[in-house]
Amino acid sequence: METPATAEAAPASERTSRPVLLDIVDLSRSFGGLRAVDGVTLDVRQGEIFSIIGPNGAGKTTVFNLITGIYKPDSGTMTFEGRSIAGLTPDRVLRRGIARTFQNIRLFNNMTVLENALVGQQIRFPSDLASVMLHLPNYRKAEREARARAIELLSFFGPSLVDRQDEYASNLSYADRRRVEIVRALGSGPRLLLLDEPTAGMNDAETAEAITYIQRLRREFNLTVLLIEHKLQVTMGISDHIVVLDYGKKLAEGIPSEIQRNPLVIEAYLGRKAEV
Amino acid sequence: MILQRSRATVRGYINTATAWLDNTLVLGRSVRWYVTGWPFGLVIFLLAIIAPSFLDQPTLTSAISICIYAMLALGLNIVVGYAGLLDLGYVAFFVIGSYTVAVGTGSELYNSNGQPFSIPTVSFWLLLPLAAVIAALFGILLGAPTLRLRGDYLAIVTLGFGEIVPKVFQNVPYFNGSLGMGAAPPPDINLPLIGDISFSDPLNLTPFYYLALGLLAIVVVAVIALRDSSIGRAWIAIREDETAAAASGVNLVRTKLLAFGLGALIGGIGGALNTAFLPVVNPNDFNFGISITVLAMIVLGGIGSIPGVILGATILRYFDVSLVNQISTYVQENPAITNAIPGLNDINEAKLLIYGMVLVLMILLRPQGLLPNRRRSRELKGIGASAEGTSAVGLLAREESGLDVPEEDALDETAYTGAGSDARGRE
Amino acid sequence: MLTIAALSAGPTNTFLQQIEGGITLGAVYALVALGYTLVYGIIELINFAHGDVFMWSTVISLVIVQALGVNAPLGGFALVGVLLLLIVAGMAVSALINVSIERIGYRPLRKAPRLAPLIAAIGFSFILETIVALWRGSNFVSFPQFFPIGSFYVFGARINYLDIFIVVLALGLMYALNWFIQNTRLGKAMRATSQDPEAAALMGVNVNRTISITFFIGGALAGAAGVVYSLYTGFVWFFTGFELGLIAFTAAVLGGIGNIYGAVLGGFLIGLVQAIVIQYFPGGNGVAWSDAIVFAILVLILVVRPSGLLGQQVPDKA
Repeated sequence: METPATAEAAPASERTSRPVLLDIVDLSRSFGGLRAVDGVTLDVRQGEIFSIIGPNGAGKTTVFNLITGIYKPDSGTMTFEGRSIAGLTPDRVLRRGIARTFQNIRLFNNMTVLENALVGQQIRFPSDLASVMLHLPNYRKAEREARARAIELLSFFGPSLVDRQDEYASNLSYADRRRVEIVRALGSGPRLLLLDEPTAGMNDAETAEAITYIQRLRREFNLTVLLIEHKLQVTMGISDHIVVLDYGKKLAEGIPSEIQRNPLVIEAYLGRKAEV
Repeated sequence: MILQRSRATVRGYINTATAWLDNTLVLGRSVRWYVTGWPFGLVIFLLAIIAPSFLDQPTLTSAISICIYAMLALGLNIVVGYAGLLDLGYVAFFVIGSYTVAVGTGSELYNSNGQPFSIPTVSFWLLLPLAAVIAALFGILLGAPTLRLRGDYLAIVTLGFGEIVPKVFQNVPYFNGSLGMGAAPPPDINLPLIGDISFSDPLNLTPFYYLALGLLAIVVVAVIALRDSSIGRAWIAIREDETAAAASGVNLVRTKLLAFGLGALIGGIGGALNTAFLPVVNPNDFNFGISITVLAMIVLGGIGSIPGVILGATILRYFDVSLVNQISTYVQENPAITNAIPGLNDINEAKLLIYGMVLVLMILLRPQGLLPNRRRSRELKGIGASAEGTSAVGLLAREESGLDVPEEDALDETAYTGAGSDARGRE
Repeated sequence: MLTIAALSAGPTNTFLQQIEGGITLGAVYALVALGYTLVYGIIELINFAHGDVFMWSTVISLVIVQALGVNAPLGGFALVGVLLLLIVAGMAVSALINVSIERIGYRPLRKAPRLAPLIAAIGFSFILETIVALWRGSNFVSFPQFFPIGSFYVFGARINYLDIFIVVLALGLMYALNWFIQNTRLGKAMRATSQDPEAAALMGVNVNRTISITFFIGGALAGAAGVVYSLYTGFVWFFTGFELGLIAFTAAVLGGIGNIYGAVLGGFLIGLVQAIVIQYFPGGNGVAWSDAIVFAILVLILVVRPSGLLGQQVPDKA
């Protein structure tokens, strides 16, 4: 297996000096008899691109679902910016500052690009019925600002999405749909962005483009990115830190060059097919 | 040449108006529709306003009834059309509104021996908002247990509530059981410049008509405001994909309860108005049939479409009050028919048969209704259904209501003898 | 509901009598509940019209019995013949109606949002009810009691021959169903399709046909229930489907929807609960409130333990 090019990751000492944004300790979750996540511990530092990799069925998406409140953990703790997020509903998790995309793109197909981007900003709107129903000034202001922000976010990917803002989301190309999903996730101004296989289904050119915009996202929006990826070329090229999961357990952890050389990781990947 | 120029002018006008409206009113995508559609709506509205001058009293009665049912249809449309929750117990809120007014204006209750005793009379003008509030509270109360249920179960539970609430009023002694209660029409009001307006004159229904029309107009405006707002978008989002909606910041509980509450509120107003109009309340009239009637109006006219449901209400209500009477008289004059079809003695059943057929035919042949809402049209025709959601064999796409299991964690289902997916759509 | 109260009143008004009545009715509920659960297991849809399919069997039975001019207890071959005829006819009619509903109303809507087949189901339910109401009137019509009258007493509870027949018939059908599902190819196809329709199709299962068969069987069971229900209660009414449908559905959910053992268990449980409620409800108005109680049970299950008694309890998601 050709070793993919690795990014010059920051040395370990520099990493530990950055504050911990998301702290997961001994997280576990079973479904029936299946231990999907088994005592996983990891910490995500401010500003880094943190990747979770592992063969299919390793529990990666379950970790995402646990973080974002779609599942409740059986045991373990999850702390974001010092506060526990266990047991919060997904919308509350978003309010805390964690947004996500989905492995199989869950856009609102019968809403337009713009509307999808607006829904992502739901938490910015006044929540009382009177303001909304009567279109009081505070609501109108929120709506105007939301539209402006939506356009701004869409333009991160260039003018094409902005031009297509009134198209139904289902009419877009696969790559564009991925982008819109990211725009929707960014709407609430999150500090941590969870991307679940953002390059799935992309060819090499699109993947390279995705790598670029993930790094841009981190830079321009001051984000920390937690990434699930299958393609080692992406992971090795972009990650500051990697955790490898297998059968729900943490197999290895470290910077890309370490992970590449780790015999356990190699065995896990060679033992099952993986995209290289 | 002139044609080209005028077309360009019109287009320019539309664009300017759209931009202006967008900025000031901050309405929504359908601003464009408003701008091009308003003449039509205005004409209808104007016709409605001058109607009493060329309609006779019996037709005005029908018109008032149409206004009330149009309101009900708009209310149920919020729950079914916007939030996508199939509420089959809508009659419950109609009943609550009705009895609120009956108790307040009839000013008597009944003790456990069936004896009436007096209570203070409350003005209809107070009872109307009171009915709305009480109904809304019940909407939230009855909606709460259904929040995590999938569509089928939600329908049945709401159906049950719709059965129980009228039964409660029928069996609890306070409300005189199956005999019903009397009510009173709204008290006269005195407006400056116009003088006394009486709602209790059986020969002049015009004031009541304007009352009904006015309330309907308010409901329409309110519903439009809701539809084109962040709440409206939240409703569409939870209809499409609850999990993604929650992950985007939509509070599922609050958004759904809002739909239930608002729908119930409108139902309560409809009931209140209806009782003040009749003015009597008869528990035998309150049954599942009303819930289905309103549902049929929505399905016929167009789920999620405001002009659509109003049209549906108009058609079915007109059918109900006018044609049904004519059929009934015809049948009574021709006993041969009732010998062959004994059930026709109760014309109600024939009516409900028609409504049932309306439901089935519309949903199979034209699910988006007569005056469709464009987005709903797409949804109902399956356009834009995600490729991932539809199985290769085309079985019922598993509705992703509630929070579902992602691909890599698919459980082993043991069919028929073990775990399957349960009422919440979980496995 | 009224006739049940009438049957349970009388000299032997003991607790055991209620149990006996509960078991008898429970058997009927179980048969209908099986129909719900089978259909749900295979396409995850609650067949709203299922109760009305049951009701049609009662009507067809009435038509046949009236056509034959039966109005007194029969014996011997006449009894067997009439029973056989009614049961076969009832099962056939219900089965056919159920299959038709699936072909006309559910199959075309497989790709539509969930709302659509639900609305179709409601529409069918109404059509089925109102046709009968127009055809036979909206009042109770008495059903000839041709089953031999007779009973024996066990611990002070009277057990009618009819009750025995009902329970035996129901258990027999349930056993046959279980055997069918476990041992025949079609049964395996049903199980496979309910587990994983795509895989089943890839394995050569004709999914459409399997679904139709499921509806057929579910309808047939309801049909059998309809015949004995008419005998038991002594009347036919166009609206029984609605009430009984709700009760049977609750039974199916109580036992665990999609689980046939659960449907049976749920049926008997609800039968017992209902009998006890009717008898012992304070104020003596048990009949009017028994529906409400059953419904309250439904809501309670759905809120507290939606997987039912025999469904697997899945730990809560957030």
